[in-house]
Amino acid sequence: MQQVKRLFVTGNQNFSQILLGLVLLITVIVLSLASPFFLTWDNWRNILDQSALQVIIAIGMTFVICTGGIDLSVGSISALSGVCMAVAMHAGVSVELAILLGITAGALVGMSNGWLISQLNLNPFIVTLGTMSVVRGAALIITTGIPIYGFPKAFTWWGNGHIGPLNPPMLIAVFIALLGALVLNKTKLGYYTLALGGNEEALRRSGVAHKVYKLMVYTICGITAALGGLVVTARLNTAEPLAGWMFELDAIAAVVLGGTDMKGGRGSITGTIMACLLLGMLRNGLTILNIPSYYQQLAIGIIILVAIIVSELRLRNAPGHQKNS
Amino acid sequence: MRKSKQVFTIFVLIILMLNIIGCANNSTKNTAAEKEKAPVEQISDAKVAANEKVLLEQLQPLPKTNQGEKIGILVITLANPYWVSLKKSYELASKELGVNVEVMAAPTEGDTKSQLETLQAMIAKDYKGLIISPIEPNNLVPGVVNANKKGIKVVNLGPGINVDAVKDAGGKLDGRITVDFEEQGQRAAEYIVEKIGKDGGKVAIIQGIPGAGQSEGRTTGAKKVFENTPGIKLVSIQPANWDRNTAYNIATNLLQSNPDIKGIFCCNDVMALAAADALEAAGKRNGRIIFGVDFTDEAKAAIGTGKLDGSIAYSMDAYAKAGILLCLKTIQGMDVPQTVKSPLAVVTKENIKEYSNWH
Repeated sequence: MQQVKRLFVTGNQNFSQILLGLVLLITVIVLSLASPFFLTWDNWRNILDQSALQVIIAIGMTFVICTGGIDLSVGSISALSGVCMAVAMHAGVSVELAILLGITAGALVGMSNGWLISQLNLNPFIVTLGTMSVVRGAALIITTGIPIYGFPKAFTWWGNGHIGPLNPPMLIAVFIALLGALVLNKTKLGYYTLALGGNEEALRRSGVAHKVYKLMVYTICGITAALGGLVVTARLNTAEPLAGWMFELDAIAAVVLGGTDMKGGRGSITGTIMACLLLGMLRNGLTILNIPSYYQQLAIGIIILVAIIVSELRLRNAPGHQKNS
Repeated sequence: MRKSKQVFTIFVLIILMLNIIGCANNSTKNTAAEKEKAPVEQISDAKVAANEKVLLEQLQPLPKTNQGEKIGILVITLANPYWVSLKKSYELASKELGVNVEVMAAPTEGDTKSQLETLQAMIAKDYKGLIISPIEPNNLVPGVVNANKKGIKVVNLGPGINVDAVKDAGGKLDGRITVDFEEQGQRAAEYIVEKIGKDGGKVAIIQGIPGAGQSEGRTTGAKKVFENTPGIKLVSIQPANWDRNTAYNIATNLLQSNPDIKGIFCCNDVMALAAADALEAAGKRNGRIIFGVDFTDEAKAAIGTGKLDGSIAYSMDAYAKAGILLCLKTIQGMDVPQTVKSPLAVVTKENIKEYSNWH
């Protein structure tokens, strides 16, 4: 009982993740009881496949939000890098090089976001709102609005291939997640990422090249968005200029639901992954139960709102918060 | 501390409630559909009956009905009245044919990823057959291949799935039913040209999502007529992504740059109604022809009041029924024709009275 109490007395760092884990468990149980099709491997493969894409993009977003920033351009970056890969392949470039080109394009957009935000000290929301539109426009111009279709098997493998019971998107997601957790928790870059969100001024005064680190964080987000673009393009065997519509909102929702603080300074990769799984499971479960798409939107919105309320109330009660100190 | 506990309890309760609402909603839905069905006369209208006859002739011999087969249907989005009407027609036809249908959709018109995800989730269930209408020719291809693997029959209704892409991915479509999109555009354009008359003048096309099958087909059909008619000048083809607000703005801009425009063909009724609103707001509706496609309920009313000049119709009840029959034929292992095509009707201010019972 004492332990349970301690859990809720907010001293526990992992409260959000434990809560999310519980909700995840309850959702699995409820959905399994509600439909015999939910707990089949076929269906779980769907959920993992669909969550994989969201995990890849949300990991980059976790880094950005840890610094207290935001990146609204990830969906557009996914579309642009997919389009770059498609154009390159249709021009006869090899698959590997085309993928590399697409990811470089994503990294460059991320880098320019980072440069504008750190060097010119501009607001991340506005900067990425601008690049969101610029990059989407570029994708539309390159394709003249018409999806590019038909790629070599070696490319579509990245979306539809089989590696035992799993597929490449899932493995990319696992790899990115492990790498993200390692970097955020064990490296200088991760430490400074959190410090940027916690107290940028202190970081600057202690002589850390804070602008460089910020630039790196946005570049990471650009790269993960480009990897998302690779997965979408390969899976559909089509590069659509309108691909990745609203990816940014899905990613931000997952990151916040996972317990990362919008104000920065506190973040969790595990939380982000669990949130992606929860959202993926809900979408899938609501479809399996034949609940119309209207209700799906409503349900997911309410869950995000409740998550914010829980985390905010908990912070307000936390020792060390102005009220208590 | 107590607060956190309360909040936690509320959180869990909300999740449970949402699930329960979902289940409850499911069971109430059928009774609601039954209530709706009661007053509707069984396709009594002569025009609809003629339309249905043309479709059913293509589907001879008809499959066995009242076998209770479970069929999953994936439409584009229930945020567009066209697909909402089609959903109702599917449900009506399923009662008549004695099959179980479940209709799902993507949250919005452009969400290709969610539509594929919905299809994948549906494939994990126990449907015998699927009737699917893709947002875009390629977005559902991986789902079709998965359905093939599980032995679920796949019928493509309406906007076409890229058959070559399906073949490349190692899958196949079991049947296809559609309307001739090019013919829709052509017949609408012919009406516009006829109304503009000998003097000729400027016309424009407002498209749906570029690359979407219905949008491209209708545009091509209309474009051919406009370009081949002397005196008619096609000044602009603009995509409005099936979106009402976008179409409104495009129509306003068109009027700015071409104040003397005489006709606008829109690739669906939602956009046509928006264009009519835009022209009305600018005080320049008179003497200009606006034509849509689909003949939705709102368009029907608008044609009645003269707000819209006309629309291209096909009977949705007959279309949905033929779709289910085609799917049943594939499930029962019967031969099916390569493509089943629905006949079209041009509904205008002049003949709207004959179509008052159209569904």
